[in-house]
Amino acid sequence: MSPTQVHLEDVAVGAVLPRVVRNASRVQLFLYSAATWNPHRIHYDVDYARFEGHEDVLVHGPLQGAWLTQYVTSWAGPRARLLSVQWQNRASAFPERDLHFDGRVTAVDGDVVTLEITEADPDGRVLMPATATVRLPRRG
Amino acid sequence: MQDQPTDESLVPDETRALVGTLVAEPVRAEITAKESQRYAQAVGDLDPVYFDIDAASAAGHPTLVAPPTFVTHAVVVGLPLDRIRTDGLFTGAMPMRLRVQRTMFGGEEWDFDAPVYVGDTITAETRLASIDEKAGSKGPFVRIVRETTFTNQHGDVVARSRQIGIAR
Repeated sequence: MSPTQVHLEDVAVGAVLPRVVRNASRVQLFLYSAATWNPHRIHYDVDYARFEGHEDVLVHGPLQGAWLTQYVTSWAGPRARLLSVQWQNRASAFPERDLHFDGRVTAVDGDVVTLEITEADPDGRVLMPATATVRLPRRG
Repeated sequence: MQDQPTDESLVPDETRALVGTLVAEPVRAEITAKESQRYAQAVGDLDPVYFDIDAASAAGHPTLVAPPTFVTHAVVVGLPLDRIRTDGLFTGAMPMRLRVQRTMFGGEEWDFDAPVYVGDTITAETRLASIDEKAGSKGPFVRIVRETTFTNQHGDVVARSRQIGIAR
Protein backbone atom coordinates (compact mmCIF):
# COMPACT_ATOMS: atom_id res chain seq x y z
CA MET A 1 0.00 0.00 0.00
CA SER A 2 1.56 3.29 -0.98
CA PRO A 3 1.15 6.10 1.53
CA THR A 4 -1.33 8.86 0.72
CA GLN A 5 -0.11 12.36 -0.03
CA VAL A 6 -1.93 15.52 0.99
CA HIS A 7 -1.47 18.42 -1.45
CA LEU A 8 -1.73 22.13 -0.76
CA GLU A 9 -4.84 22.29 -2.93
CA ASP A 10 -6.55 19.74 -0.64
CA VAL A 11 -6.53 21.86 2.52
CA ALA A 12 -8.23 25.02 3.75
CA VAL A 13 -8.44 26.80 7.08
CA GLY A 14 -10.84 24.91 9.32
CA ALA A 15 -10.19 21.51 7.72
CA VAL A 16 -10.30 18.76 10.33
CA LEU A 17 -7.72 15.96 10.43
CA PRO A 18 -8.93 12.42 11.11
CA ARG A 19 -8.66 11.31 14.75
CA VAL A 20 -5.94 8.83 15.70
CA VAL A 21 -6.39 6.76 18.87
CA ARG A 22 -3.36 5.35 20.66
CA ASN A 23 -3.05 3.10 23.66
CA ALA A 24 0.47 2.50 24.97
CA SER A 25 1.33 -0.81 26.60
CA ARG A 26 3.82 -1.04 29.45
CA VAL A 27 6.05 -2.97 27.08
CA GLN A 28 6.06 -0.03 24.68
CA LEU A 29 7.09 2.36 27.47
CA PHE A 30 9.91 -0.02 28.42
CA LEU A 31 11.09 -0.28 24.80
CA TYR A 32 10.99 3.51 24.40
CA SER A 33 13.05 3.94 27.60
CA ALA A 34 15.58 1.45 26.21
CA ALA A 35 15.69 2.91 22.70
CA THR A 36 16.28 6.41 24.10
CA TRP A 37 18.70 5.29 26.89
CA ASN A 38 16.40 6.80 29.52
CA PRO A 39 16.72 5.20 32.98
CA HIS A 40 14.08 7.41 34.70
CA ARG A 41 12.18 5.11 37.09
CA ILE A 42 8.79 6.86 36.84
CA HIS A 43 8.35 5.22 33.42
CA TYR A 44 8.74 1.54 34.46
CA ASP A 45 8.68 1.17 38.26
CA VAL A 46 5.09 1.60 39.44
CA ASP A 47 6.01 1.54 43.16
CA TYR A 48 8.53 4.30 42.61
CA ALA A 49 6.09 6.31 40.46
CA ARG A 50 3.52 6.12 43.31
CA PHE A 51 6.22 7.15 45.81
CA GLU A 52 6.62 10.30 43.72
CA GLY A 53 2.85 10.87 43.88
CA HIS A 54 1.80 9.57 40.45
CA GLU A 55 -1.09 7.12 40.15
CA ASP A 56 0.80 4.84 37.74
CA VAL A 57 3.92 4.86 35.58
CA LEU A 58 3.92 7.83 33.22
CA VAL A 59 4.09 7.94 29.45
CA HIS A 60 7.29 9.84 28.57
CA GLY A 61 6.66 13.45 27.52
CA PRO A 62 8.92 13.15 24.45
CA LEU A 63 7.14 9.94 23.41
CA GLN A 64 3.86 11.87 23.35
CA GLY A 65 5.74 14.55 21.43
CA ALA A 66 6.90 11.93 18.92
CA TRP A 67 3.27 10.79 18.52
CA LEU A 68 2.17 14.37 17.89
CA THR A 69 4.94 14.66 15.30
CA GLN A 70 3.91 11.37 13.70
CA TYR A 71 0.27 12.52 13.67
CA VAL A 72 1.35 15.36 11.37
CA THR A 73 3.80 13.46 9.14
CA SER A 74 1.49 10.47 8.63
CA TRP A 75 -1.39 12.78 7.70
CA ALA A 76 0.67 15.01 5.41
CA GLY A 77 2.40 12.23 3.46
CA PRO A 78 5.95 11.46 2.35
CA ARG A 79 6.54 14.50 0.12
CA ALA A 80 5.50 16.99 2.79
CA ARG A 81 8.18 18.52 5.05
CA LEU A 82 7.60 19.08 8.74
CA LEU A 83 8.98 22.52 9.65
CA SER A 84 8.19 22.91 13.33
CA VAL A 85 6.25 21.46 16.22
CA GLN A 86 5.62 22.75 19.74
CA TRP A 87 3.92 20.90 22.56
CA GLN A 88 3.01 21.75 26.13
CA ASN A 89 2.87 19.16 28.90
CA ARG A 90 -0.40 19.98 30.68
CA ALA A 91 -1.33 16.69 32.42
CA SER A 92 0.14 13.20 32.80
CA ALA A 93 -0.60 10.39 30.36
CA PHE A 94 -0.71 6.77 31.52
CA PRO A 95 -0.33 3.41 29.73
CA GLU A 96 -3.27 1.14 28.85
CA ARG A 97 -5.62 4.09 28.35
CA ASP A 98 -6.84 5.53 25.08
CA LEU A 99 -5.28 8.78 23.94
CA HIS A 100 -7.08 10.78 21.26
CA PHE A 101 -5.14 12.84 18.73
CA ASP A 102 -7.13 15.49 16.87
CA GLY A 103 -6.09 18.37 14.67
CA ARG A 104 -7.33 21.11 12.41
CA VAL A 105 -5.84 23.57 9.96
CA THR A 106 -5.62 27.06 11.46
CA ALA A 107 -3.63 28.90 8.77
CA VAL A 108 -2.36 28.51 5.22
CA ASP A 109 0.49 30.82 4.23
CA GLY A 110 1.91 30.10 0.77
CA ASP A 111 2.66 26.38 0.86
CA VAL A 112 3.02 26.27 4.66
CA VAL A 113 0.09 24.95 6.67
CA THR A 114 -0.31 25.54 10.41
CA LEU A 115 -2.09 22.90 12.47
CA GLU A 116 -3.52 23.01 15.96
CA ILE A 117 -3.40 19.57 17.57
CA THR A 118 -4.50 18.07 20.86
CA GLU A 119 -3.72 14.88 22.68
CA ALA A 120 -6.65 14.25 25.02
CA ASP A 121 -8.10 11.52 27.21
CA PRO A 122 -11.46 9.96 26.18
CA ASP A 123 -13.32 12.53 28.32
CA GLY A 124 -11.84 15.30 26.20
CA ARG A 125 -9.40 16.56 28.83
CA VAL A 126 -6.39 17.90 26.92
CA LEU A 127 -3.09 16.40 28.11
CA MET A 128 -0.87 18.03 25.49
CA PRO A 129 -1.88 20.92 23.26
CA ALA A 130 0.41 21.36 20.26
CA THR A 131 0.94 23.33 17.08
CA ALA A 132 2.87 22.36 13.98
CA THR A 133 3.81 23.81 10.63
CA VAL A 134 4.27 21.66 7.54
CA ARG A 135 5.16 22.49 3.92
CA LEU A 136 2.87 20.70 1.47
CA PRO A 137 3.63 19.89 -2.17
CA ARG A 138 1.41 21.32 -4.92
CA ARG A 139 -0.56 18.98 -7.15
CA GLY A 140 0.92 18.11 -10.54
CA MET B 1 21.60 20.85 44.59
CA GLN B 2 18.33 21.48 46.45
CA ASP B 3 18.36 24.10 49.19
CA GLN B 4 15.68 24.57 51.81
CA PRO B 5 13.08 27.08 50.61
CA THR B 6 13.73 30.57 51.91
CA ASP B 7 12.30 33.97 51.15
CA GLU B 8 15.10 34.46 48.63
CA SER B 9 14.71 34.09 44.86
CA LEU B 10 14.40 30.48 43.66
CA VAL B 11 17.19 31.26 41.21
CA PRO B 12 20.58 32.03 42.75
CA ASP B 13 22.59 34.76 41.00
CA GLU B 14 25.28 32.24 40.06
CA THR B 15 22.64 30.25 38.12
CA ARG B 16 21.19 33.36 36.47
CA ALA B 17 24.72 34.14 35.23
CA LEU B 18 24.70 30.89 33.23
CA VAL B 19 22.10 32.17 30.71
CA GLY B 20 23.59 31.99 27.24
CA THR B 21 26.34 29.56 28.20
CA LEU B 22 26.73 25.90 27.23
CA VAL B 23 25.22 23.61 29.87
CA ALA B 24 27.34 20.64 28.80
CA GLU B 25 30.20 19.78 26.48
CA PRO B 26 29.08 19.55 22.83
CA VAL B 27 28.25 15.96 21.86
CA ARG B 28 28.83 14.34 18.48
CA ALA B 29 27.10 11.15 17.33
CA GLU B 30 26.57 9.19 14.14
CA ILE B 31 22.99 8.45 13.10
CA THR B 32 22.82 4.69 12.60
CA ALA B 33 20.03 2.76 10.88
CA LYS B 34 19.75 0.30 13.78
CA GLU B 35 19.27 2.95 16.48
CA SER B 36 16.99 5.09 14.34
CA GLN B 37 14.80 2.11 13.44
CA ARG B 38 14.67 0.78 17.01
CA TYR B 39 13.49 4.23 18.07
CA ALA B 40 10.85 4.34 15.31
CA GLN B 41 9.60 0.89 16.31
CA ALA B 42 9.43 1.87 19.99
CA VAL B 43 7.41 5.00 19.11
CA GLY B 44 5.20 2.92 16.84
CA ASP B 45 6.00 5.03 13.76
CA LEU B 46 6.62 2.66 10.86
CA ASP B 47 6.88 5.36 8.18
CA PRO B 48 8.56 3.58 5.23
CA VAL B 49 11.04 6.47 4.73
CA TYR B 50 12.73 5.31 7.96
CA PHE B 51 13.03 1.67 6.85
CA ASP B 52 12.95 1.36 3.05
CA ILE B 53 15.51 3.15 0.92
CA ASP B 54 13.24 3.02 -2.16
CA ALA B 55 10.44 4.71 -0.20
CA ALA B 56 12.89 7.35 1.03
CA SER B 57 14.11 7.90 -2.53
CA ALA B 58 10.54 8.18 -3.86
CA ALA B 59 9.91 10.90 -1.26
CA GLY B 60 12.91 12.89 -2.53
CA HIS B 61 15.56 11.84 -0.01
CA PRO B 62 19.11 10.63 -0.82
CA THR B 63 18.96 7.83 1.77
CA LEU B 64 17.04 6.62 4.84
CA VAL B 65 15.53 9.39 6.97
CA ALA B 66 15.66 9.44 10.78
CA PRO B 67 12.42 10.27 12.64
CA PRO B 68 12.32 14.05 13.30
CA THR B 69 12.91 14.08 17.06
CA PHE B 70 15.23 11.04 17.15
CA VAL B 71 18.24 13.32 16.88
CA THR B 72 17.88 14.42 20.51
CA HIS B 73 18.12 10.80 21.67
CA ALA B 74 20.96 9.91 19.29
CA VAL B 75 23.28 12.27 21.17
CA VAL B 76 22.54 10.93 24.67
CA VAL B 77 25.78 10.05 26.42
CA GLY B 78 25.63 6.91 28.55
CA LEU B 79 27.08 6.98 32.04
CA PRO B 80 28.15 4.17 34.40
CA LEU B 81 25.55 2.72 36.78
CA ASP B 82 27.12 4.40 39.81
CA ARG B 83 26.24 7.77 38.28
CA ILE B 84 22.50 6.98 38.41
CA ARG B 85 20.45 8.55 41.21
CA THR B 86 17.57 6.97 43.18
CA ASP B 87 15.03 8.34 40.69
CA GLY B 88 16.93 6.73 37.83
CA LEU B 89 18.24 9.96 36.34
CA PHE B 90 21.92 10.43 35.66
CA THR B 91 23.75 12.65 38.13
CA GLY B 92 24.94 15.89 36.63
CA ALA B 93 21.89 16.05 34.37
CA MET B 94 21.17 19.49 35.80
CA PRO B 95 24.37 21.15 36.95
CA MET B 96 22.72 24.43 37.92
CA ARG B 97 21.69 25.28 41.48
CA LEU B 98 18.05 26.15 42.14
CA ARG B 99 16.14 26.51 45.41
CA VAL B 100 13.44 24.05 44.32
CA GLN B 101 12.16 20.58 45.23
CA ARG B 102 11.19 19.14 41.87
CA THR B 103 11.68 19.71 38.16
CA MET B 104 9.07 18.66 35.60
CA PHE B 105 8.99 18.40 31.84
CA GLY B 106 6.98 21.42 30.66
CA GLY B 107 7.07 20.93 26.92
CA GLU B 108 9.24 21.32 23.90
CA GLU B 109 9.54 23.42 20.75
CA TRP B 110 11.26 22.13 17.62
CA ASP B 111 12.36 23.74 14.38
CA PHE B 112 13.33 21.30 11.64
CA ASP B 113 15.61 23.04 9.16
CA ALA B 114 16.65 19.99 7.13
CA PRO B 115 16.09 16.23 7.30
CA VAL B 116 18.48 14.09 9.35
CA TYR B 117 19.74 11.07 7.41
CA VAL B 118 21.18 7.74 8.42
CA GLY B 119 24.96 8.13 8.15
CA ASP B 120 24.96 11.79 9.23
CA THR B 121 27.25 12.87 12.02
CA ILE B 122 25.38 15.29 14.26
CA THR B 123 26.90 17.71 16.75
CA ALA B 124 24.62 18.94 19.52
CA GLU B 125 25.29 22.07 21.53
CA THR B 126 22.99 22.89 24.43
CA ARG B 127 22.78 26.33 26.00
CA LEU B 128 20.75 27.68 28.87
CA ALA B 129 18.50 29.96 26.81
CA SER B 130 16.54 31.52 29.66
CA ILE B 131 15.63 31.06 33.29
CA ASP B 132 12.69 33.04 34.62
CA GLU B 133 10.98 33.06 37.97
CA LYS B 134 7.21 33.29 37.63
CA ALA B 135 4.21 33.50 39.93
CA GLY B 136 1.77 30.61 39.48
CA SER B 137 -1.54 29.65 41.09
CA LYS B 138 0.36 27.04 43.17
CA GLY B 139 3.14 29.44 44.17
CA PRO B 140 6.31 30.65 42.50
CA PHE B 141 8.00 28.48 39.90
CA VAL B 142 11.00 28.67 37.61
CA ARG B 143 10.74 28.23 33.83
CA ILE B 144 14.01 26.89 32.42
CA VAL B 145 14.61 26.77 28.67
CA ARG B 146 17.51 24.78 27.29
CA GLU B 147 18.11 25.26 23.58
CA THR B 148 19.97 22.62 21.60
CA THR B 149 21.30 23.23 18.11
CA PHE B 150 21.91 20.14 15.97
CA THR B 151 24.44 20.57 13.15
CA ASN B 152 25.38 17.96 10.55
CA GLN B 153 28.78 17.05 9.08
CA HIS B 154 28.30 19.67 6.31
CA GLY B 155 27.97 22.44 8.90
CA ASP B 156 24.23 22.83 8.26
CA VAL B 157 21.90 23.33 11.22
CA VAL B 158 19.35 20.53 10.84
CA ALA B 159 17.21 21.13 13.91
CA ARG B 160 16.82 23.26 17.01
CA SER B 161 14.97 22.20 20.13
CA ARG B 162 13.94 24.24 23.14
CA GLN B 163 13.18 22.03 26.13
CA ILE B 164 11.10 23.70 28.78
CA GLY B 165 11.52 22.64 32.39
CA ILE B 166 9.25 23.76 35.21
CA ALA B 167 10.82 23.74 38.69
CA ARG B 168 9.08 24.57 41.94
